[in-house]
Amino acid sequence: MASVSSDSGETLSLNLMPMLDIFSILIVFLLMSYSTDPVSYDVNGGVELPESTTLSSLDELPAIKVTKTEILVNDRKVANIIGGDVEDKDKAQGAIQPVYDELKKLADANKRVLGGRVSEIDKVKMSTVTMEMDKNHRFKLMKRIMLSAQQADFIAFKLMVAKQSS
Amino acid sequence: MSKKKKRKPKYRDIELNVMPFIDVFSLLNTFLLMSAVFLSVGVLEVQIPFLTSAPPEKKEDERSFDVKVDMEKDKIQVTGVWSKPPLNEQKRDFKVTKEDIAAMHKFMIELRRTAPDTDKVSFFTEDDVLWKDISNVLDAIKVRGPADPVFAPKGATDVQKAIAAESIYPKVVMSSVML
Repeated sequence: MASVSSDSGETLSLNLMPMLDIFSILIVFLLMSYSTDPVSYDVNGGVELPESTTLSSLDELPAIKVTKTEILVNDRKVANIIGGDVEDKDKAQGAIQPVYDELKKLADANKRVLGGRVSEIDKVKMSTVTMEMDKNHRFKLMKRIMLSAQQADFIAFKLMVAKQSS
Repeated sequence: MSKKKKRKPKYRDIELNVMPFIDVFSLLNTFLLMSAVFLSVGVLEVQIPFLTSAPPEKKEDERSFDVKVDMEKDKIQVTGVWSKPPLNEQKRDFKVTKEDIAAMHKFMIELRRTAPDTDKVSFFTEDDVLWKDISNVLDAIKVRGPADPVFAPKGATDVQKAIAAESIYPKVVMSSVML
């Protein structure tokens, strides 16, 4: 119990026990909800993820981010989204040219790093890309991005979702 | 008989200094609140079709079970059919509602029971379907609930067993990307 003396000599005591109780409960809650996922990631502010019951956790940071208004590849803005689709200047045979260009650079960099010694696991990793996309976008836009990625040798996708709490 | 005087124990007022506790708790709270991630992020894995020069996985003369999910804005059609007679086609329509998607999940389990060796689904989607609806349908196709059966292939490795414990159909191919 903490106490202070006033000018009149009267001792005032402050009961700190309830405060300690609150702190203990808060710490227990925070420790229990502390993320044990392999990758801790703060979702982009401009993205609302759809909910899912999936058990698979995020294991790498997303290379493609599709917010409500723009597409980013490795945190670099490559295209604007207007009315749920990219601008006409960025479209190329159903794909998105700037997305393809950036992903191609990424694929080439991966190949350079790994060189000729590529195991089966590496091949799978090299052809997989993680994508964070706002839940209100339509498949039309997703298809364009997937097509761009496919042309840059990415054929598997990890689509980010918000895990529903059980 | 001598009288023994019982000594009363002397109690002193002992005050526990809780201030260091509070200091530690405050610091711990601040650290945990700052590093806490309140949204748990997961992933749904999908594939897209691709051209390859590698030989086909299954033989042409083999009888296989093909599962197809066709999604429109307000309707989902699930079809399971054998590649050779007897075809025994199983087809059902569902609405894009929570109840119907739950029913679709049960139908997917029935299809997997029909052909446990088939672990791939071809998924077709119309352009105007929202990603949040697609994710719900992907959940119904892929994610195994706690009460659902486990479909592990014969002689499965540990990795395959782990995948089977999580998924009804682990491989989902977004076929309409190429259309």
